Amino acid sequence: MRHLVGKRAFIVALFGALLLAPSVTNQYQTFVANLILLYIILSLGLNLLIGFAGQLALSNAAMYGIGAYGTGLMMAHFGFPYWAAAPCGALLAMGLGTLLALPALRLSGIYLALATLAFAQFTYWVMTHWTDVTFGAGGFVPPRIDFSPLPVNQEQGIYYLSWILALLLYVVARRAMESPVGRAFVAIRDGEVAAQSLGIDLLRYKSLAFAMSGFYAGVAGALYCGLLGFVGPESFDLLQMILHKGAVVLGGMGSVVGSVIGGTLLTVLVEITKEAKFSIEIAFGGLLVVFVLFQPSGLIVFIRKWLPGWDERLHYVPPGTAPPVQAARTAAAEGDD
Amino acid sequence: MEYFSYLMATGISTGALYALVALGIVVIYKSTQVVNFAHGEMFMLGGYLGYTFHVMLGWPYLLSFLLAVGAGFVLGLAVDRVAFRPLMQRQTMVSVLLAMIGLSFVLKGVARWLWGGKGDYLSFPPLVSPTPISFGGIMVMSQQLVVLGAACLVMAAFAVFFKFTRAGRFMQATADNPKAAKLVGLRTDRVYMYTFAVGSAVAAAAAVLMAPLTLLYPDIGFALFIKAFAAAVLGGLTSIPGAVVGGFLIGIIEQLAAGYIHSSLQEVAAFVVIMLVLTFIPTGLFGQRRLRKV
Amino acid sequence: MVKPALAVRDLSVSFGGVTALQDVSADFPSGEIIGIIGPNGAGKTTLLNVICGMNPPDAGDVFLGEHRLNGMKPNRIAALGLRRTFQSSQLFAGMSVLENMMTGLHLMGSTGLFGAILRSRRMREEEREMRERALQSLDFVGFRHFADRPGSALSFGQQRIIEIARTLIFEPKVVLLDEPAVGLSVNRVAELDTLLRRIRDERGVTLIMIEHVIRLVMGVSDRVVVLNSGRKIAEGLPDEVRRDEAVIEAYLGHQAHA
Repeated sequence: MRHLVGKRAFIVALFGALLLAPSVTNQYQTFVANLILLYIILSLGLNLLIGFAGQLALSNAAMYGIGAYGTGLMMAHFGFPYWAAAPCGALLAMGLGTLLALPALRLSGIYLALATLAFAQFTYWVMTHWTDVTFGAGGFVPPRIDFSPLPVNQEQGIYYLSWILALLLYVVARRAMESPVGRAFVAIRDGEVAAQSLGIDLLRYKSLAFAMSGFYAGVAGALYCGLLGFVGPESFDLLQMILHKGAVVLGGMGSVVGSVIGGTLLTVLVEITKEAKFSIEIAFGGLLVVFVLFQPSGLIVFIRKWLPGWDERLHYVPPGTAPPVQAARTAAAEGDD
Repeated sequence: MEYFSYLMATGISTGALYALVALGIVVIYKSTQVVNFAHGEMFMLGGYLGYTFHVMLGWPYLLSFLLAVGAGFVLGLAVDRVAFRPLMQRQTMVSVLLAMIGLSFVLKGVARWLWGGKGDYLSFPPLVSPTPISFGGIMVMSQQLVVLGAACLVMAAFAVFFKFTRAGRFMQATADNPKAAKLVGLRTDRVYMYTFAVGSAVAAAAAVLMAPLTLLYPDIGFALFIKAFAAAVLGGLTSIPGAVVGGFLIGIIEQLAAGYIHSSLQEVAAFVVIMLVLTFIPTGLFGQRRLRKV
Repeated sequence: MVKPALAVRDLSVSFGGVTALQDVSADFPSGEIIGIIGPNGAGKTTLLNVICGMNPPDAGDVFLGEHRLNGMKPNRIAALGLRRTFQSSQLFAGMSVLENMMTGLHLMGSTGLFGAILRSRRMREEEREMRERALQSLDFVGFRHFADRPGSALSFGQQRIIEIARTLIFEPKVVLLDEPAVGLSVNRVAELDTLLRRIRDERGVTLIMIEHVIRLVMGVSDRVVVLNSGRKIAEGLPDEVRRDEAVIEAYLGHQAHA
């Protein structure tokens, strides 16, 4: 019986519930459910980069924004229909994200984090100041999306599209990580030098990790453009970055299903903190600190304990086993021949 | 020419402040190998505390300055004990950085809650009369001169501390060679804690110095952190004098870019510097190359 | 004259003004165990780093069989049949032991990302084969029962053995070992000795080994190369080297100055 409650059952239940949601909930709740789907996608993509490949990049919110802006601007400036504009947005985010792999070859840790953060801030500045193209700080309203000949309006269309894409991208992430590509990512995270000595091409796989997370964020951005019916820079600021990180840490770095859990929970928690008028910054900043201190492997660890039928290949770093910062530092200071 | 010297003067005085904050970042990095992402918030809280003492409680500026610096010191001790040290002992680099990012948000949220929300900008009364004085043909705000002077004093005090006091020399030694320091019997944990505290105190000092020149708001911590980080990286993250030089350079570059190319470039100059430096000369102007050992 | 498995010619490297290697030349014949010894700071690990591509040489050449390796990236050199181990454990902590071994077969994979996403027949077959070969590799060192444990759950000694097994899984020509015996107990060192001989005899792999445990190096090596202060000062059979004046001077002299 316990075997029934495994990973697959969980995913089926969650996606099943999300599929039914629009029929049973009110308009606002459907909006939140749609956000859950978007954050699942965002979390999946970011986990690939940070959790699996170990590249601490702080540019995910910017990629999200590029996806949204790319899509919206194609529609607003060039009259593209949504089905053409959305891939443009996603591919633009993927392309720019991949460029960040180049500094990732030379930088690591805090250097990479701040280089990508600088890039993200730069992107935010462009969104706010390149008024001719991006409509500036006030944002813009892209044209309505027409889903004909399908018998759905914009809200419904975006919802089911989000659902389909979230499910597809979940499967893609699972399959990619349970393959030689996934092992290459984890090898790069846990021992970049040894990975190279086994033939793993760092440029290729780091680029792949950046490209995939950029693509995922771009897709989420394209969907967000359709969901909100509005694109503006304030949705893609520093706080957004913390939310993405929070989702990944909460669910479990290095666990694909953990990303799904993290994305879902994060959206729910954001709604709850908004209701309680409690500061989102304190809540999610605190969440990051507490989880990193006490359970850096995320909620997935608890779930694995309680549901023994849960078989997931081990890819997160088991707590207490990774070399702590101090030990690594002392080793680096050792004399050597 | 006048315009140029005005820009330079502004650049140098803001640069002095960036240098102060960058100093804190470099000092903490040198001893702990971690860039303290929450450093900007140390700055911000120092500024707010200074505001509380000077504006809300009405105490004299100098007293408020000293109290804020002291509070910054204590805050640094607290952050090290509560967050930084436990993290360092147990977690990977990625996790430590993520947690420090989280901490910076918590501190920002607390500041927002205690002193005012998104739209509130707090202002300090000016320290000296706002009329500009002429320095051999160059127009300078006397406030800027005071700030520059005070910042240089703090930097000098810092240098003296590091070179001539026992505590300072211990910090220097631990930063240069942690293993040897341990062998010789230095309590490295303690030293890290005080390094952290000193870094925070210096940041608080910078904030209170800067407060009369501009407005205080909760997000200023991050804005300054990025600029100070650009300064530190430009100078070379392992070089204390580099941080000072970097600070002044960033201040000047900002002003010149904003003054001659486009005013909106002031915000973004630091980001561009970070991206360029890290891509082409990651060790900065004065830093040493880190040899990777496996 | 059969080409040596690996050869270095007039290799020189310096870091920030400090000369780490100076005109080092040596041949490493195929199918032999060659030990590299020398006092601390002699440049032994630097030599390995240059050979495997982590540091480009300032001057000189490295030849793997016929291929000139200068300036190639480490993963490219690995693809040509070179492997190495490191002084500190490099087992990937976030994977099981079995997956660690399968990662050693990375170069065997031909289906890439799309094959993985589509779960093509070829991808599934390759996964199956990788798994099989990984299990066999674990059998070779007698650690099959560790297959599903996380990489980090093993003792240091066990991790080192598995790392060695990981280097062998894709049938390399040359394996560089950086102090394989460090941290091992006396019993384990004896086991290592046996293992190294088995690798040379059964697999025909050329092993090049930096070691400080003189007993092991002299016991198992077919020949020994001695470095001191970045230069090669002796080379030959273990017994010859043991009695070589320059070698004794180097170790004693170093002790006197230490």
